[in-house]
Amino acid sequence: MDGLDLTSIRARKARLGKTIGHSGYTALLLLTFACIVGGATLAVAKIHYGYSLIGIGVLVLMPAVWWYYDLRNVPPFGNTPTGRLSGNCLALLKPNIQYSPATLWETIRSNNQVLFITNHLMLSADQLHGCFTEDPGTLSQILMLASQIADSYGSLTIEPAHLATALLESSPVVADILTRIKLTKADIVAVSDWFNRSYIATHAKPRDFGGIGRDWTSGFTPQLSRFGYNVSADIERTGGHYSTLAGSAGVHDMKSAFSQGVGSIALIGPGGIGKTSTAYALAQDVLAEAQDRALAHKQLIALDASAILSAAHRQGELEFTLTMLLNEALHAGNIMLFFDDAQLFFHNGPGSFDATQILLPAIQSRALQIIFAMTPHDYEALRANNIAFAGLLTPVVLREQPEPEIMEILADTASNFESRNHLLITYAAIKTAYTLSGRYETDIAYPGKAIRLLEQSLPHAYDRIVDAQSVEATIQQTRGVRAGAAAPVEADALLHLEDLIHQRMINQSRAVKVVSDALRRARAGVANPHRPIGSFLFLGPTGVGKTELAKAIAATYFGDESRMIRLDMSEYQQDSDVARILSDGQGEAKSLIMSVRQQPFSVVLLDEIEKAHPNILNLMLQLLDEGILTDTGGRVVSFKDAVVIATSNAGADQIRAHIEQGKELEQFESELTDQLISSGQFRPELINRFDEVVLFRPLNANELGQVVRLMLAEVNKTLGYQNISVTLTDAAVARIVEVGNDPRLGARPMRRTLQKAVENTVASKILRREANPGDHITLDANDLSV
Amino acid sequence: MFALDLLSWWYGIGWAGVLHATRRRLGAVSGAFSTSTLLHTLFAPWRRIVTYPGAGLEERLQAFSDNAISRFVGFSIRFFVLLAASVAFVVLSMLGLVELIVWPLTPILAVILIVKGLL
Repeated sequence: MDGLDLTSIRARKARLGKTIGHSGYTALLLLTFACIVGGATLAVAKIHYGYSLIGIGVLVLMPAVWWYYDLRNVPPFGNTPTGRLSGNCLALLKPNIQYSPATLWETIRSNNQVLFITNHLMLSADQLHGCFTEDPGTLSQILMLASQIADSYGSLTIEPAHLATALLESSPVVADILTRIKLTKADIVAVSDWFNRSYIATHAKPRDFGGIGRDWTSGFTPQLSRFGYNVSADIERTGGHYSTLAGSAGVHDMKSAFSQGVGSIALIGPGGIGKTSTAYALAQDVLAEAQDRALAHKQLIALDASAILSAAHRQGELEFTLTMLLNEALHAGNIMLFFDDAQLFFHNGPGSFDATQILLPAIQSRALQIIFAMTPHDYEALRANNIAFAGLLTPVVLREQPEPEIMEILADTASNFESRNHLLITYAAIKTAYTLSGRYETDIAYPGKAIRLLEQSLPHAYDRIVDAQSVEATIQQTRGVRAGAAAPVEADALLHLEDLIHQRMINQSRAVKVVSDALRRARAGVANPHRPIGSFLFLGPTGVGKTELAKAIAATYFGDESRMIRLDMSEYQQDSDVARILSDGQGEAKSLIMSVRQQPFSVVLLDEIEKAHPNILNLMLQLLDEGILTDTGGRVVSFKDAVVIATSNAGADQIRAHIEQGKELEQFESELTDQLISSGQFRPELINRFDEVVLFRPLNANELGQVVRLMLAEVNKTLGYQNISVTLTDAAVARIVEVGNDPRLGARPMRRTLQKAVENTVASKILRREANPGDHITLDANDLSV
Repeated sequence: MFALDLLSWWYGIGWAGVLHATRRRLGAVSGAFSTSTLLHTLFAPWRRIVTYPGAGLEERLQAFSDNAISRFVGFSIRFFVLLAASVAFVVLSMLGLVELIVWPLTPILAVILIVKGLL
């Protein structure tokens, strides 16, 4: 392929076309009009110059006609780059310049098509300045690549967007810039595809929907107009936005089924997968180009259950209305009925009614094409309740599409959001919506969940731009999780997490360290995203800080102690308790799964896990392995943003004995784990699924003293309301430790002892007016009432 | 150069384009008036407004007469629409033909008019 020939007739024409432009064309037409009218007037007045004026008018008209039919959009000629470059592309290039990739970029970068690509990739002019080589010799490679890109889109012309894609793709500097903003070269192609789909949609020829007499052989449908929504009429009016789905397997399967004489279809798919859009895409496809007699000129009417229900005031009126609607559709001859949320027509209840007996004859006769959209759960329920009815429906199952197709749907939906809200949605935002919705929106399927997240992100647009940060902010707000990169303050806190935890937790350094490491890994994005942030089994005697550490994590990392979901597993010892864990809210008001759905970013504390029923422990295997559980309603709940901590007192005696022998605990972890497995207290598959098994050692007198001082800080916080503060002498602390220390219960009795010793003493002093607001009380061992 | 480029287009692609444009317009008229559908369904009842025959002879005759009226209404409307489409077709074809003939004469006509005015 040769280089650019900018002296060709085509190039000249393109430049001329640009020079004349729309305004020049209008001026030429006005001049033509003025000359012909003026000339005619003069000619009528017998002034001969009038003929000349008419002749000039005709001459002026000729370039206007030329511009309109040829110059404004110079058609391609031949297979050379110059012959294939689109008119608006050629018009930008000057014949006296030897172009290199760098100068070519500078020439085209302000073109609307190019701006579509760079804006959606968030690449500014400054960033791209100097990214392209100035060697004119490499231009032919760029043109070759642009030509291939144009071919891949079936375009006869090389558009500015194709040139821009070729330039961006071939520049290693651009690849580096993209890497820094978490994009890849593949994203250039994806945005180029996105542009191409938008370009085709906006430049498509008006479609022939059948003309004025299309429906004259079909019956009137006044009742269907009242109770339903004519999807086809809406598509005809607006042009339809379902081109992306028109070629989908769902549309193809429905068309094939109807063409083969199938009357009714059960369109089955989980919420969010696009059942409604698929049915609408079928309507658009049929409207535009159905060749099949079974589908030609058919109109899709969606029936509204609530409208039908609200219109029925007397007994039997509901049945009458539905029968009338079916008869009207049947008689009209050009109607396909669509029952969205079909389960509303299959059973009696609030907002729903059982219409199966009324629908049965119409379905059996196959004279009417009906689509029932329902979830797999609803389809199974229908099969269980009315197998005869379900058997008459041909199932068309919608499956989640591969990522590239979902990304296309998302991008096209983003275009609609952009034009409706007058803002820009970057491709990074679309990618982030895909990723984050996959992780956090587990209740519905793609693409619905990603579209929902993208739509929720629109109010977070900054400067009318929705970018990845907008989507992350939305997830943070709606789900309470931290999705974006850690801010400097947060990063600093994470790096010093151990210090923060130790402000409220004495010793147990290894436990604090492993938990802090897990949180840092998760926040930096290097942890396995398909499992909980961290899962730990804390083993040790009572009162050594196992629960306190869980609370400390909730407070320091998750922001509040209320971010801890605590389950006492000794209350889950029956097989029937499985339902209490998995309840979707219908039975158990506050199940584990409900709590995590409401608050996914939290600490899940499973106290005394060894006491739970084996079937509950089996659930924990799935939770720890895959980071998900499924509730009784079939909805998946993610634990991937939770820290799961299980505690147990098992092995407490061995730990105590080990410590008393003066040995380190770290080397004892695997030995104790083996002992617990061989004694049958823990199943190996459960223990192996925890990230770490951490042993907590009993606290010595010195550490208990520090615990007393931490507890005293809490007492002082309470007394702060009275503007009184208390200090304990070392002797007083030692006395409390001496009295409160119980080797079996660890630090747990200490709070009671402190309460008794300090709070009672201070209370007496306040009542005796020995302590007044503003006083600072120092208590010695002798002052304490223990 | 400008005049040469204009004239070479005028007597080349431009002239051929007149034929294409006329054909395109005629196609659009045919689509807008649903000529194919109307011809296929010329005698079909109007909007399926029909009555169904009962068992008796009188009812059968009544249904036949009702349906005949519906078919007549349908035929009339379709016929007049087809007639309108034919008129549009003929007018556009004539315009196309005139355009095709006038097109090559336009530059010459312009020159003749200018010269005539000056003389």
